[in-house]
Order: sequence, then C-alpha cells, then structure tokens
Amino acid sequence: MIVGLHHYLVLAAILLVCGIVTMLIKRNAIGILMGVELILNAANVNLVAFNHYLPADSGIRLDGQIFALFVIVLAAAEAAIALAIILSFYNNFASIDVEKASNLKG
Amino acid sequence: MPLPATLLLIATLLPLASFVTLVFAGKRIGTPLAGVVATGAIGGSFAASIGALISWLSAADPVPWGAAREPILLLYKWVPIGQVGSNSTGWLDLGIYIDSLTLAMFTMVTMVALLVHVFSIGYMRGDKRFPRFFTYLGLFGFSMLGLVISATVLQLFIFWELVGVCSYLLIGFWYEKKSASNAAIKAFIANRVGDVGFLIGFGILFYHLGNVTLPNLWATLGSAGTLASGEAIGNFGYTLLTVMGIGLFFGAIGKSAQFPLHVWLPDAMEGPTPVSALIHAATMVAAGVYLCGRIFPILTPDAKLFIAVIGVTTLTMAALIAIVQSDIKKVLAYSTISQLGYMILAMGVGSWVGGLFHLITHAFFKALLFLGSGSVIHAAHHEQELTQYGGLARKIPVTAITFLIGVLAIAGTPLLAGYYSKDMILAHAAALGYLAEGQGRGGLWWAFFVLPVIVAYITAFYMMRCWMLTFWGKPRNREVYEHAHEYPVMYIPLIVLAVLSIIGGSYLGVSDLLQYTQQESNAIVRTIGGDAAGDVFASAWPVRSHNVMPPHEELDVAPAAEISLAGHVLEAGEHLMHRWVGWAFAIGIGLAVVIYWNGLTIAQRLTALPPLNWIHTWLYNKMYFDELYNSVFVGGVRGLSIVLGAFDRKVVDGLVNGAAALTRGLAVISGAWDKYVIDGMVNGAAAVARGIGSLLRIPQAGRIRLYVTMLFASVTAAVAVVVLVVLMRS
Repeated sequence: MIVGLHHYLVLAAILLVCGIVTMLIKRNAIGILMGVELILNAANVNLVAFNHYLPADSGIRLDGQIFALFVIVLAAAEAAIALAIILSFYNNFASIDVEKASNLKG
Repeated sequence: MPLPATLLLIATLLPLASFVTLVFAGKRIGTPLAGVVATGAIGGSFAASIGALISWLSAADPVPWGAAREPILLLYKWVPIGQVGSNSTGWLDLGIYIDSLTLAMFTMVTMVALLVHVFSIGYMRGDKRFPRFFTYLGLFGFSMLGLVISATVLQLFIFWELVGVCSYLLIGFWYEKKSASNAAIKAFIANRVGDVGFLIGFGILFYHLGNVTLPNLWATLGSAGTLASGEAIGNFGYTLLTVMGIGLFFGAIGKSAQFPLHVWLPDAMEGPTPVSALIHAATMVAAGVYLCGRIFPILTPDAKLFIAVIGVTTLTMAALIAIVQSDIKKVLAYSTISQLGYMILAMGVGSWVGGLFHLITHAFFKALLFLGSGSVIHAAHHEQELTQYGGLARKIPVTAITFLIGVLAIAGTPLLAGYYSKDMILAHAAALGYLAEGQGRGGLWWAFFVLPVIVAYITAFYMMRCWMLTFWGKPRNREVYEHAHEYPVMYIPLIVLAVLSIIGGSYLGVSDLLQYTQQESNAIVRTIGGDAAGDVFASAWPVRSHNVMPPHEELDVAPAAEISLAGHVLEAGEHLMHRWVGWAFAIGIGLAVVIYWNGLTIAQRLTALPPLNWIHTWLYNKMYFDELYNSVFVGGVRGLSIVLGAFDRKVVDGLVNGAAALTRGLAVISGAWDKYVIDGMVNGAAAVARGIGSLLRIPQAGRIRLYVTMLFASVTAAVAVVVLVVLMRS
C-alpha cells in the first residue's frame, strides 16, 4: 500500500477530533492543555504533509516545515503560560478542576 | 462783631459745649458733678446774656428814624442757590439777628433754664440716668437759644425741630413707663402735623422771596397787615399771603399746643417735672408765639383772624378742662395751654407787645408753678393726685407761699406780673370789638373780648382751687402728709421765680424793651425798604382800621386831636377792659376759697347735681378729644387698612394665586408628559437592552467546556453552511 497525502490528512483529522474530544470531556486543566497540544499537532501534520506533496515547480521549498517549527515553539510558550495560570489557579482553589473557575459568571 | 452779638453767641454755644462734654463723658463725670457742669454752662450763658443786655441798654448811639438802637444783623453766605424768587444775590444766608426782643428772650430763657438746672440737681438726685438728663438739657438750651437768635426763617425752622427733638427725648426720659414713651411719640407726631403746615408756608415764602432773612421779610411783605382782599404785594396775591401766614402759624399750633393739636401737652407731663417747667411751660411751647411775633408784619388780616379764632378757642377750652382735672400737673398743663391761647389771641388781635410780654411774664410764673408742683410731687413721693394732698402748707411752707404768689400772678392780681400782660391783650381785644362794631361787622367780634374775660375769672378760680386742694384743709392722705419735706436746693429757685413773678410785669421794664423792639424793627425795615416801608410793627388788626367810626360816646373818652385813631380805640378798649376784668382775680380766687375751704366736700356735692355732673364728666375726660382723634384718625387709618387688607387678600392675592394655579396646572400636564412619554421612551430603551442582556446571559455560564463546545459547533456549522452554499452554486 502506497502511503499518500490522503493518509496524512486522515491522520491529522483523527488527531484533531481526539484533541477536541479531550478538551470537551476533560475537567482537568492539564488534560485540556493536552487536548490543545493534540489539535496543534494535527495542524502541524497537515502543514508538513502539504509542503511535501507540493509540485516541484511551485517555488516553495521548506515553508511548511518552518511553519510547523513556529507552531511547536508557540505551543511551548503557550504551555508555559497555561501551566503558570494553572498553578495560580491551584493556589487559589486547591484544585485544577475548570468547572470551578466560574467566579466571573454573570 | 459787636459786643452783644459776641456775648450772645457765647451764651448760645455754652450749653452746646456742655451737651458735647456730657454726651462723651457724662457717665465718667458722674451723678452730682454732671449736673454741676451743665448748671455751670447755663449759668455762663445767663451771665453772658445779662452782660449783653447791659451793653445793649447802655449803648446810646443815635440811629435814623427815631429808634433807640439799631438791631444787629450779621449774615453769612451759606448755600449758593442761584436765582430764587426776588433774591438776586444767589445765596441762602445764615446769620444772627439781635434786637431787644432777642435780648429779652435770651435773658428769660437762660434765667429760667438756670433755675431749672439748679432745681433739677435736687429733683433728679437718685435717678439712674442723671447725667443723661443734663445732657439733654444742654442740647435743649442750645437749641432754644439758637431759635431765638436765628436771622432767617429757615434757621428758625432748624432750631424749631431741634427743640422738638429735645422735647421728645425729655418727655420720654423715663421710657420704661409705657405712658411716658407713648406721650413722647404723641408729642412728636402732633408737632410733625403742625410742621407740615410750617413747611408749606416756608415753601411759599422761599419760592417767592428766596431771601428769608427776617428784616427782608418785613421790608418786602410788611404792608400785608393792612392789605385788602384782592390786592397783592409783588408776586404775592392776598390769598397766597393768607395761606402762607396760616401755614407758618400751623407750626405754632403744633409747638404751642393750640387747638386742635393741643392734645400732646397734657400727656407731655409724663416727663420729669423740671422738664415740664422749662420746656412745656416757659420756653419751648412759647416758641410758637415767638414765631408769630417774628412773622407778625407779614400776616394778612384774614390770617390774623384765623389766629385769633384759634387762640380764643384754645384758651376757653383749656380753661374749662383745667377746672376739673385732678392731677396737679394736668391742671398746670391745661393752664399753660390756656395762657398760650391768650398769647396767640394777642397776635391775632394785633397786640404784638402784649403777646410777647405775656410770654415772658407767663414764663416766670408758670415755671414757678411747675417747679412748685415739682417740689410738692417730690415731697409727696411722686403722688400727683390733688385728692391725695391737703394741708401741705404746714409741711412745705416755702413751696406753699411761692406757689400762692404764682397763683396770684397768673390770676391777674394787680401789681403782679400777669396783671400787666393780660390786661394789654384784653385791651387790644376790646379795641378790636370797637373797630368791628364801628365798621358795622356785627357783635360776633366781641367774642374775642368776652370769652377771654370770662376765662380770666375761670383762671383765677382753677388756679386757686389747685392751691387750696394741695396746701389747705385737712390732709386727705396721712402717709403722704407725714413724709412731706422740702430741700433748699429746690426752694431757692422757687424764691427767685416768685420775686420775678412779682416784679416781672412792671419793674423789670419788659414791656418797654418790647416797645423798643417795635421801634428798632421799624427802623431796620426803613433802612432796607426806605421811607415808604412804614411802621410794620404797629398794631395791626384783623379788621382793617381805615374808615373806623369812633367808639361809643358814653365811654367817656376824651377825643383829643393828637391821639391817633388806633390810640383812641385802644384807650376805649382799656377802659372797657378795666371795668370788666378789674376784680376778676378776687372773684375767682374768693369763689375757690369758699368752695374748697373744707377740701372736696362741697365740690363733690356740686358735681353730683344733674346738669353739672354731665359737664363734669365731659370736662374731666378732656372733652373727649383723645377719644375723638382715636376714632377719627387711628380708627380711620385702621378702617382704611382693613379695606386695603381685604383688597390685598382678595384681589392682589387672587391674581397671584390664580397665576400660581395656572402654573400648577401647566406643571401637572408637563409632568405627566415627562413621566409617561419621555421617561417611557428612556425606560423602554432600558427594558429592551435589559431583555437582550438577560437573553445573552444564558450562554455566558463561565464553563469553559461549554465555550469550547459552542466554538466548535459554530465553526462546524459555519463550515457546513459554506460547503452547502458552494455545493448549491456548483
């Protein structure tokens, strides 16, 4: 079986759906963070796959990969900030259950 | 400046100095000393007046037109007024005018004032406002002397008001007493009524003359006394002159307490008794007569007739009331009004000398009587009712004797002061009767003689009644009698005044001095107006004396050729007067002695008889003048204010309230519009926003998983829509 573009896209879609489902069903803040990471990596898979299957005369060489690298860096930064928020949240509520973060509810 | 003028100016200013000193330092100077300061000042004035009198009488420089001395007229330019009336100098003058009358008045005023000051030191001792009393007396002394020395009518008016203020202050001296402060206000208001007339008269005079200096007045309008109705002097028509004269005389009605403004003087007795003696008997109330004396030549016959009618009404009315009064000071007050009526009558019937002569003699004996009453009241511990006295002669003999001398003097006992002056007035009144009869004017003119003659009897009666009830008989109030006593500081002035009351008529030469005044005034008028001006101060009658027929044959008057017509008539008048008044004093006094020998017993039996008791009640209530004025003027003003108040409440308030109701109605409508329409719009907008907000609140639940669900659901929906659209297009 020849692995083609379709396989990558299906994999990315599966990853995306896994991430979304994780975000929806997890009450644990760290779990939600993991879901986010899955969604970002689904996008990365798409970026790298599309770049690989571009025609050779399109003039685009490594743009998809570099884009993916930026997304990884961004995910790292986002994880750092999110973990800091979670830590502060834990300090205040002695828990990281996001259902409890409803003080601003109108 | 001539010596008499200098001395009289000093005499005028000394009481002012005392006033200023006591105003600022009276309390510090203290009780007995303040009186001494004031007494010293007025004593200085008296000495200066005497000095001026001596220097005046000893000067013998001959002056034109046969006058003994030339009057001193010193004028200073005061206010630039431009061309007013016939005054071409363009200045309103201020100055002093001195003739024999001025000197006589100065000597009289300062002497009486000095004695009253001495008396007051005793009488007012123990009063808590002792220094203030002497402060006011100082101001009064200055004002009164300033009035007498004034050279212009305007200046006279200024001092006229000043003495009025002093009178007000001193009547209300014991202002804690409601009756005293009411009396002060009453006196002030009654005087204001008269002063309105004075101002009207002065206004007419000033508008037409511009120069209101006394000699100028006489020189310009001097022929008014013989003016016939319809004639005119320059701009002055007869009617205008008459109105002016009566207007000026209204001032005298107020100040000299003449009918119908006499009501203030009896009430003024609420003031301390020395004040009654000085201001309300001897000096200030006589200022009206003095004013009449100064404007005498410019009074038309009709103005004089008016004056005579007022005078005779006043003297009769006041004498009748005086018979029944039971307050010793009220008796004296009505007696004063009556005597002032005589003086005013004298001016009306043309007896210039008689009126002013009576002014001076009356000042002596009335000051004596008032100070005597003060001594009695002081001895009786401020009991003033005659019914509480009796037999006091044994306790206060000096007062009793001097008071009796005063009674005899006012009754017209021969050789005492009142005899000469009253006779002179009555002789003129009788002469007027002859003149009027000679012109066929009817018998009513004899009223000017008959009524004063009757009143001469009444005067003797009521004054002796007063003396008998006070000093004779058995004591009616033991307590008053036991405590009565007198002080030397108080009876020494009484003795001096008693001596003056005896010699004031004949030996002092007051009438000579006044006759000099006539000559002097005539002389100065001729100096100003030339020979044509005539003798303006000769007797001038309400009845014009040309075409007079000689008096009745049976009067036994020798028709001597050299006697002038006026002199002839006067002599006849004198005869008639002597026949009827000669024994008046004895009859009046005798009757009083008989009736009041045993106190009030006979009098009480008499006043119980039917016709007499009505008259007694009527007179005792002062002929109901106070009640009349109260109902007419006070009631009238009250009624008017009720009407005006109703108008105010009903009409004016109605308009205002109507406007308010209209505004109110408009406001209700406007308010409803605001409430339901404007607020409705605003509230509606708010309700809409609120509704939307509450709808939008539902998804904002604060649940992060819900947000994520909505995010992906909406993205999915959007993508689905886009895909559907693209598919449907293709």
